[in-house]
Amino acid sequence: MALSGMRGLSVFISEIRNCQNKEQERLRVDKELGHIRNRFKNEKGLTVYDKKKYVWKMLYIFMLGYDVDFGHMEAVSLISAPKYPEKQVGYLVTSCLLNENHDFLRLAINTVRNDIIGRNETFQCLALTLVGNIGGRDFAESLAPDVQKLLISSSCRPLVKKKAALCLLRLFRKNPDVVNVDGWSDRMSQLLDERNLGVLTSSMSLFVSLVSNNHEAYWSCLPKCVKVLERLARNQDVPQEYTYYGIPSPWLQVKTMRALQYFPTIEDPNTRRALFEVLQRVLMGTDVVKNVNKNNASHAVLFEALALVMHLDAEKEMMSQCVALLGKFIAVREPNIRYLGLENMTRMLMVTDVQEIIKRHQAQIITSLKDPDISIRRRALDLLYAMCDISNAKDIVEELLQYLGTAEFTMREELALKAAILAEKFAPDLSWYVDVILQLIDKAGDFVSDDIWFRVVQFVTNNEDLQPYAALKAREYLDKPAIHETMMKVSAYLLGEYSHLLARRPGCSPKEIFSIIHEKLPTVSTPTISILLSTYAKILMHSQPPDPELQNQIWAIFSKYETSIDAEIQQRAVEYFALSKKGAALMDILAEMPKFPERESSLIKKAEDTEADTAELSAIKSRAQQQASNALVVTDQHPANEPPQVTQLGMVKIPSINNLENNHVDQEVTQTNGIMGEVEPQNGDILGDLLAIEGPPGVSGTETLTEEGALALAPVGELENAVKPVIDIAERFRDLCVKDSGVLYEDPYVQIGIKAEWRGHQGRLVLFLGNKTTSSLDSVHAVILPPSHLKLELSSVPEIIPPRAQVQCPLEVVNLCPSRDVAVLDFSYKFGTTLVDNKLRLPAVLNKFFHPVTLSAEEFFPQWRSLAAPPLKLQEVVRGVRVMSLGEMTNLLNSLKLIVSPGLDPNANNLVASTTFYSESTQSMLCLVRIETDPADRTQLRLTVASGDSTLTFELKEFIKEQLVSIPAASRPPVLQPTIQPISSSDPGALLAGLL
Amino acid sequence: MPVAASAIYFLNLRGDVLINRLYRDDVGGNMVDAFRLHIMQTKELGTCPVRQIGGCSFFYMRISNVYIVIVVSSNANVACAFKFVVEAVNLFKSYFGGAFDEDAIRNNFVLIYELLDEIMDFGYPQNLSPEILKLYITQEGVRSPFSSKPTDKPVPNATLQVTGAVGWRREGLSYKKNEVFLDIVESVNLLMSSKGSVLRCDVTGKILMKCFLSGMPDLKLGLNDKIGLEKEAEIKSRPTKSGKTIELDDVTFHQCVNLTRFNSEKTVSFVPPDGEFELMKYRITEGVNLPFRVLPTIKELGRTRMEVNVKVKSVFGAKMFALGVVIKVPVPKQTAKTSVQVTSGRAKYNASMDCLMWKIRKFPGQTESTLSAEVELISTIAEKKSWTRPPIQMEFQVPMFTASGLRVRFLKVWEKSGYNTVEWVRYITKAGSYEIRC
Repeated sequence: MALSGMRGLSVFISEIRNCQNKEQERLRVDKELGHIRNRFKNEKGLTVYDKKKYVWKMLYIFMLGYDVDFGHMEAVSLISAPKYPEKQVGYLVTSCLLNENHDFLRLAINTVRNDIIGRNETFQCLALTLVGNIGGRDFAESLAPDVQKLLISSSCRPLVKKKAALCLLRLFRKNPDVVNVDGWSDRMSQLLDERNLGVLTSSMSLFVSLVSNNHEAYWSCLPKCVKVLERLARNQDVPQEYTYYGIPSPWLQVKTMRALQYFPTIEDPNTRRALFEVLQRVLMGTDVVKNVNKNNASHAVLFEALALVMHLDAEKEMMSQCVALLGKFIAVREPNIRYLGLENMTRMLMVTDVQEIIKRHQAQIITSLKDPDISIRRRALDLLYAMCDISNAKDIVEELLQYLGTAEFTMREELALKAAILAEKFAPDLSWYVDVILQLIDKAGDFVSDDIWFRVVQFVTNNEDLQPYAALKAREYLDKPAIHETMMKVSAYLLGEYSHLLARRPGCSPKEIFSIIHEKLPTVSTPTISILLSTYAKILMHSQPPDPELQNQIWAIFSKYETSIDAEIQQRAVEYFALSKKGAALMDILAEMPKFPERESSLIKKAEDTEADTAELSAIKSRAQQQASNALVVTDQHPANEPPQVTQLGMVKIPSINNLENNHVDQEVTQTNGIMGEVEPQNGDILGDLLAIEGPPGVSGTETLTEEGALALAPVGELENAVKPVIDIAERFRDLCVKDSGVLYEDPYVQIGIKAEWRGHQGRLVLFLGNKTTSSLDSVHAVILPPSHLKLELSSVPEIIPPRAQVQCPLEVVNLCPSRDVAVLDFSYKFGTTLVDNKLRLPAVLNKFFHPVTLSAEEFFPQWRSLAAPPLKLQEVVRGVRVMSLGEMTNLLNSLKLIVSPGLDPNANNLVASTTFYSESTQSMLCLVRIETDPADRTQLRLTVASGDSTLTFELKEFIKEQLVSIPAASRPPVLQPTIQPISSSDPGALLAGLL
Repeated sequence: MPVAASAIYFLNLRGDVLINRLYRDDVGGNMVDAFRLHIMQTKELGTCPVRQIGGCSFFYMRISNVYIVIVVSSNANVACAFKFVVEAVNLFKSYFGGAFDEDAIRNNFVLIYELLDEIMDFGYPQNLSPEILKLYITQEGVRSPFSSKPTDKPVPNATLQVTGAVGWRREGLSYKKNEVFLDIVESVNLLMSSKGSVLRCDVTGKILMKCFLSGMPDLKLGLNDKIGLEKEAEIKSRPTKSGKTIELDDVTFHQCVNLTRFNSEKTVSFVPPDGEFELMKYRITEGVNLPFRVLPTIKELGRTRMEVNVKVKSVFGAKMFALGVVIKVPVPKQTAKTSVQVTSGRAKYNASMDCLMWKIRKFPGQTESTLSAEVELISTIAEKKSWTRPPIQMEFQVPMFTASGLRVRFLKVWEKSGYNTVEWVRYITKAGSYEIRC
């Protein structure tokens, strides 16, 4: 730089450097800027030299961090100076001070273009650098062709070509249209033939960008890339200056491999083989050495190669080689390398079935969990979490539990959560799960969120076999001198519910259990006291015949807390006290908690939320994705056009209860069975949450319970009333009458979907019976009560639907003769002790056997005239029609497959429709319909129906009438009520009744 | 609860620690790094004197080229902390005999450590009165050669001093010539709209005294303030003298003033400490006599030219004059060329302050001076934001003039021995923030 000649500039810089503090510096700068403004203002006295000097000063001031918002004109004007020193400063300052959005740059475009197309290479380089740094859309539009020309011209020096490639990359990023895809695939492959590695590296950067945009067009370049890699890997023809610590141009290698990852696969076996050879060489040839720079370079290549191997889904052998290599890495002392090894292993887990091979390194990974570096510990934890499956869950979870004791506090919560999730997911048996969680609470009580112990309670409640074991465990933990409050909560809850199952063991009599729990009462916080009170009530209930001493003790406690300052405790004490005076009725009221409906574990969701690590491919996320995809597969079996009903999400709605009396009974049941239900909002964090997460439907709505009547006892029964559909069945049925797939029925436990295909007079329905819970449904029965005109064959329905499973039941339908009657499905099942029975209408209705036809006037009128009189042609004036426009009516008819032929009727207020009906008796039969509306009174119309069969004509007329009159109305013809059994030909009594 | 400072730091402008003292161990040693990183090296420096970083609050103040930083980790009384800093600086000044700056600190490390030990205990401020501290911290600062050397004192009796009824004055002082100097120093704050209407105006004044009196004299000061005069009229049961009376707000006195007598008789009577002290402070918001009127006209002619005309009129008595008048007329940042004409003084464009700096050394009363300038602007790429037009600022000093109109009516000295005293009274009015919008 020709600074030596500019004394003013060096003096200024040294003055700035001599400033004692920032303030002095600012004063000096402001003074200088004022001076420069003054000089720039009188254009006349300004020589080129002065201009150059002041522009340099401006740049220096700008680099110091001050705003320079003038003088750009001068800088830009220097670009067009003929000499190099001025041009250089012009380009330099312009590219520093301006960005692509400045209007000033437009002024420069032409000058820059002249330099690019000029012959002077240095000027070309300057111009290309400027465009490469600040080129925007304008530049892209006007300069791209020239830059491309430079890039492919054969006469250019490599220096210019390099810059041209990078410049084009910038322009392409700003405006992808500048590179014409068709023309460029050939040129690109030519460019990749380049021998000069510098030009090749620049071109490869451009290429990576191009293929990331559209890889289709560049298939022809793929072998070239492999060739480049081969050349580098074999170290052929690589000049010394492109070798970095003995590695031939690591940058080019990485870029090439990156480019290859944009192609989905490599079809050509030769290329594939060649590539794998190269990768093999990279994998084999990488070692950990002393020199940091060499390590960095070789690892950059290696990890890119690993990514490529994963992308290409290579053979298992190669994969195992990769894992072995990574295994070597995680055993190295150098923490960076270990980190990379662990992270890449986690990545590999996502791709292929290398889990088995990775498991071999489990011991090493577990050692990494004790690494002094926290980021390595986190990676190791992620990896362990991701690689866990049923076979190694026990070991891993045990390790995690052990590690929990020594882990630092920031990690403990995540660790506890992950251990809990793994234990839940991969538990070989449930007692082990309970063991693990209790141990977890014992070791890291502070870090165990409520969700975790709620989950245990839920599991134990839903699995009877587990209950005595869990109670026993809880009892054992209570023997410890100091236990965590969370443990206290779990133990109290479990013992309250199930301690009677232990009664025969030594030291487990109600009295002993009571005393050991009560010992801890003074040490616990208020929310836990509420749980303890419930426990006492339960213990009291289980000690039959009542032990007067125990009873008195517990009563004393209740009456003590009747005056507690905490409203929740007070209410519980008062209510339990009152309830416990009820004697034998207590048994019913305080019966065991009912099973919880199954939900997706809230823990996993929480794990996602708490996932603090932002590593792009964290194990949890990848897992969540996998799960999401599983969920999609499950729901795919549902008809496609139904609203998404992902059962695991478990948005169980509170059933709307319309029967007041029922409601009362329900609530009694609820209240008595779910004693935990009466939770004040302020205490919601304990049991409110338990219920909010796991609460059985019907438990909510307890706020009305505080009335005195709520304590009165009602006979307990009709539990099935508690199970209400969560959707409007009638509406679903109506939907399904015009659609072929959707949800027919849904309650908290079961979802029934339906999918139908109709061909002529035959149809095939598939019922999807889905169990939403995690326990199986028993005594499943599905019986079809067919009407006389339909022949229905339901394949056998299994007695038991396993947890979270979906059963498909195909159903064959044959339409014998036209009728409006509806088939009914009697579906019943048992959940726990609850028997649920539902009668559902099947959407195999008349219009399902229509086949739409469109008739022209020539076809229609002869038919219409030939069916001249009743019973083949019936006419009726229908009143009380739902008000709708002609368009709506047309849509309605079309949706019923009665195709309206517009313009057939000369009167615009009339509609003419036609369809073909199929049944076994009539075969295909053309039906014609004419509706004459009265524009003055939309509630009445005249309906004329004609067909070749008198029954069909009548049934069709009635059917259309129903649709027109009553679609949104609540009252439907009694024939359609599912509870009234339709006349069945197989039931002579019913037949008789129907005749009478 | 007073300040409870955890530490005090003295930094130079670069952020290096000159001297520091930790009073409590609840803050770490790297506090000053936090201050340097988060306050000194950001643009916020000087915008907000209290900043919280982490769990600590930083109270800082710049005095000449030194930053004084108090670090506090608990909830503290900020006003008290700043008062402490101001008082401590005064104390240091009286020890160093003049300036308080980086060099003075570097020259007096030992003394400052000793003083810092004395004036604050476990973060609580202690006695900061220079007169008293000088009794037992007898180290002398390195004085500049011009300040007078204090007379040799008798053997100090610190206990008596601190516990005695008149804690601020020693017994047994004797001067050959008994003199009292009294200065009334006022600073005028003004914000005026461009049309000449007063938006905000007040005067903050203080009375400074310097006493060289023998024995234990009792002094009584009479001002022409409203309360005092009314009370006097009441006592002497005669009508209030016609003439201007001043209403003082927010009066605060030095601890030597006898407040019970002030409350009952509304007279300021006191036994003064020896030497220099600030007797009282006050504020006046009504009836302020503005010393200067400024009439600006600034016209923007297109995007690149401006015409500035400023007329300044002095409205105090014709016999008086203002000294060191500086008028800062703001111009836009992109000013390139200026041509200025003034009727008196000199004016120049100052690029670092973005203003035309017009200096008049001596400005007689009842006169008028004008500035007319043509300003050329350079075009910039920044979006054309209209210029915000900051106010014109003015600095001046007018001796023997009080903006409030406050006058000393009498200053009586009474001592057992009944010697004669000489009383000297001076008035001066300075510009505080004297701003005129344009």
